Order: sequence, then C-alpha cells, then structure tokens
Amino acid sequence: MAEGVLSPGVNLEAFSQAIAAIQALRSSVTRVFDCLKDGMRNKETLEGREKSFVACFQESLHSVSRDLRCVRGRLPAVRGTGTLERCELERLSNLVGKPSENHPLHNSGLLSLDPVQDKTPLYSQLLQAYKWSNKLQYHAGLASGLLNQQSLKRSANQMGVSAKRRPKAQPTTLVLPPQYVDDVISRIDRMFPEMSIHLSRPNGTSAMLLVTLGKVLKVIVVMRSLFIDRTIVKGYNENVYTEDGKVDIWSKSNYQVFQKVTDHATTALLHYQLPQMPDVVVRSFMTWLRSYIKLFQAPCQRCGKFLQDGLPPTWRDFRTLEAFHDTCRQ
Amino acid sequence: MGVTCVSQMPVAEGKSVQQTVEILTRKLELLGAEKQGTFCVDCETYHTAASTMGNQGQAGKLMYVMHNSEYPLSCFALFENGPCLIADANFDVLMVKLKGFFQNAKANKIESRGTRYQYCDFLVKVGTVTMGPSARGISVEVEYCPCVVANDCWNLLMEFMQSFMGNHTPGIPSMFGNKHDSIYSPGDTMAQYMELFNKIRKQQQVPVAGIR
Repeated sequence: MAEGVLSPGVNLEAFSQAIAAIQALRSSVTRVFDCLKDGMRNKETLEGREKSFVACFQESLHSVSRDLRCVRGRLPAVRGTGTLERCELERLSNLVGKPSENHPLHNSGLLSLDPVQDKTPLYSQLLQAYKWSNKLQYHAGLASGLLNQQSLKRSANQMGVSAKRRPKAQPTTLVLPPQYVDDVISRIDRMFPEMSIHLSRPNGTSAMLLVTLGKVLKVIVVMRSLFIDRTIVKGYNENVYTEDGKVDIWSKSNYQVFQKVTDHATTALLHYQLPQMPDVVVRSFMTWLRSYIKLFQAPCQRCGKFLQDGLPPTWRDFRTLEAFHDTCRQ
Repeated sequence: MGVTCVSQMPVAEGKSVQQTVEILTRKLELLGAEKQGTFCVDCETYHTAASTMGNQGQAGKLMYVMHNSEYPLSCFALFENGPCLIADANFDVLMVKLKGFFQNAKANKIESRGTRYQYCDFLVKVGTVTMGPSARGISVEVEYCPCVVANDCWNLLMEFMQSFMGNHTPGIPSMFGNKHDSIYSPGDTMAQYMELFNKIRKQQQVPVAGIR
C-alpha cells in the first residue's frame, strides 16, 4: 500500500485498520462472555430461556466471526473462529511489518521513542554511524583481499593467520646470522671496482654500511638483518662520522643535490622488494646506486641539459639506469 | 672545497666597471641567487732579495702571498708554476721576519672585492679588481660545492655560467687539464686567481670614461 507510508516498512493505513479490528474483536468477545455470565432472564419457561440464550450466544459469536473476517468471506460456523483469528491478524501484521527489522539496534532502538526529535537527534545519528561503520568494515575487507595479492610485507608477522598455518620460509629471512650478512656484503663489495662497502655494527646486530662511490658520494645504509631500512647520501668531502667516531646515521647532507639523491634512494629501497630473497634486493639496490658514479657528468636523457633549477639529473630509472632530472622523469 | 672556476669578465662597451658589475649582479638576482655578504681576495708580491742570489744570471723568483676571506684563518703562498703552501694566518708575520730574503713589492698589491651569491649548490663571487686606487677589471668566481673532481663537472659549470655570463663564458682553465682525477683543493683556486691578477696587471688600464 502506497498511501500513508512515511518511511519504508511503516504502513499507517494497515496499523489503523489492525487497531480498529482488534478493538471490535475485543468488544464482541466481551459480549460473548457477558452473555454467558448473565444468561437470559426475561422469559418464563426454561425452554424459552434456553432457546433465547442459545440465539443470543450465537449472535454474539457471529459478530466475533464478522470482525475476524478473512478475505475468503464470512463463515457462519463457530468452529472456524480460531483459524479466522490467525488469518486476519496475520494479514494485518504482514502489512504492518515486524518492528525488529526496522530497528537493528535492539535496546538502543528504544531511543526512537523519544518525542523531542529536533533537539536530540540521537537515534538518527546512531543509525547513520552504524551504517557507516558497517560499510567501512565491508570496504576494508575488500581492500585487504586485494592488497594481500601482492606481498608487500617487510615483517615476519602475518595478520589473521594462526601459528600453525604460518609458512615456514617467512620468518627465517628476518633472523639471519650476522656471519651470513657479512658474507653477502663482502661479495657485493667485490662486484664493482669503483664502489667500496665498509660494514660496522656500532649499535647491536643491525649492520651499518658505508658505501663510497668513486669520488662522487658516500652512502650510509642502515640494515635490519639483510633488509635495507634507511639510507642517507652525502658528498665525498662531507663528514660521515660523529664525534665519537661512529657512523653518523642521522644528519642530512649540506648540499641540495645530495638531499635529492637521498630521497631517490629511499624511493629505490621501497621499489626493490622481494621478501623471500633479500640478497637479490641488496644487489639490485647497489647496482642502481652505482649508476650515480656519473652524477655530475651525465646530461638528462629527456631535455639534454645538465642543470634544472640548479640541480643535475638526480633520478636514475629503476630498469634502464638512465639519468633524468627530477622534473623530467616519466 | 668544491670545483671552482675563476675568470675575467670584460667591461661592457661604453660602460664603467661599476656598471658592468651591476648588470651582472642583477642577472644573478633574476636567476634566483641570494646575496650572502661580501668577499675579498688579495695578493702581495715578494721578490727574492738580491743578496741571496748565488749564481749570476739566475732570475729572481716571484712569490705571491694571498689571502681569501673564504678561508679567514689561512694564508696561501705560491710560486708561479710552482708549489703552493697553505699556512696559518701568522705566515704574514713570518714574512716580515724574512725581510732579508724576500722583499715586498708594495706597488704590486692587487685585490678583488665584491659580493657573494648563493644559488642552489653554486657559490658565485663577482668582484672588482683594484690595484691601488684604480679599478682594473672584473673577476667572476663560480664554485660548485658538491663536486670535488675538476673534470667531472666542467660541463655543468659551463652551463651555469652561460646562463648569466652569456658569450663571455670562459673556456676550461688550463689547470683542470693537469688535475686529472685528483681532488680539487683551495690552493688550485688561489693559483687561478694568481693567473688572473697577472693577466690584469699586464693589461692596459681601463679607460675611465668615453673613448678618445
């Protein structure tokens, strides 16, 4: 029914009809019991009284059945009243709708009974908040399904996977013996003649590498087992040690060109990722870094010039190792 | 110390030294360079004293003692085509003590003074070269601080110099050829200044105003 509908599920027409029908039913049932209780007094003979009593009783039950009229039509018999009741009330209650469907908040749904709706719109705000959080949960579930397809994890913990089902290979790459790390680094050191790598462990088991590339730059690489954590690129003539003589892993370069190269190196270590084979990652990163030996000599492959805003081409493409200005790169 | 190129900027036609310097500095400021104070490079000449000459006919050697405001605690002493000594500022006092061996040619004192600009990682110093009371020319020093190998960044330096010097961009300094891959040092800058000052000394004095 479309008329008189304020919000979905609320059917005012059916409500009023149901209330009227129940009121009529109540009054006819009361009359039946009154009739039974009072009996007939105004006839002399017993037979006459019995007949009129039965007639009166029948009439009151008629009215009950009338009030509980089903769509199939009036039924004169008394015995059908039980099913008639259920049928009519079912029809009406189906039209009215179940309260629990419209109010998912159960007890807090009683807030909707507050008549002062304008000043304290708590109920509608509550409903909106619940709908929003349900949507958020749904979207987050979709997103996590999509993101899990690419293994971008840099830690050994797996969310949502029980300890029994955790694959055996994953945690071992994070807990490698220091000797293994030393071996890998010394092998990479011997790979390129113009690049020398010096390994030290001033702060616990994390390795700090000092990579010197020709006479162009120095790179400080902070590692976590065999994963590269952070890099800082400084000029060849800049000081890379603190006053204690330890490698200074925090201070930035004084030159804008090397600050830019530091940003690019951070991008590179996020780009070269392979959680199962970290030594391949370190090798690729060092190969990429080695292309900076010609930082001041190579012109930009795109615009052909050496300088752009006072900076030489600082970007090296991850696949082709070609030099581009930061603003010229594709 | 980064790789430095010291060159002379010829005075513009019909303009004075002062005006040419102003044109240059305006171009630099348009480029986006920031003014960062002043600089001064001076040079004194010492002859080896005649009394110390052993054999006849051996020409006296000239020694140049230079100071650079970029290195305020140092003093540079160089021979032409010879070694360069980087010493403490007290070296001047020592030279006074060595009066018997080295005599100061006071008339030959030459200096360059001007403003210092910074643009990204470049340092540019534009100075007026004066000998006594008269202005003799314009010196332009461009330093690219991050690079320490001379031949690596020559193209980069040249591109930068072209952006504000235009056609007057110098060619590669002769000493870059001798450097190969060794690290650039402040003594090399002073040697370039010495060459520049000698060249200016030999030049005719710049006409003051108008052309006769």
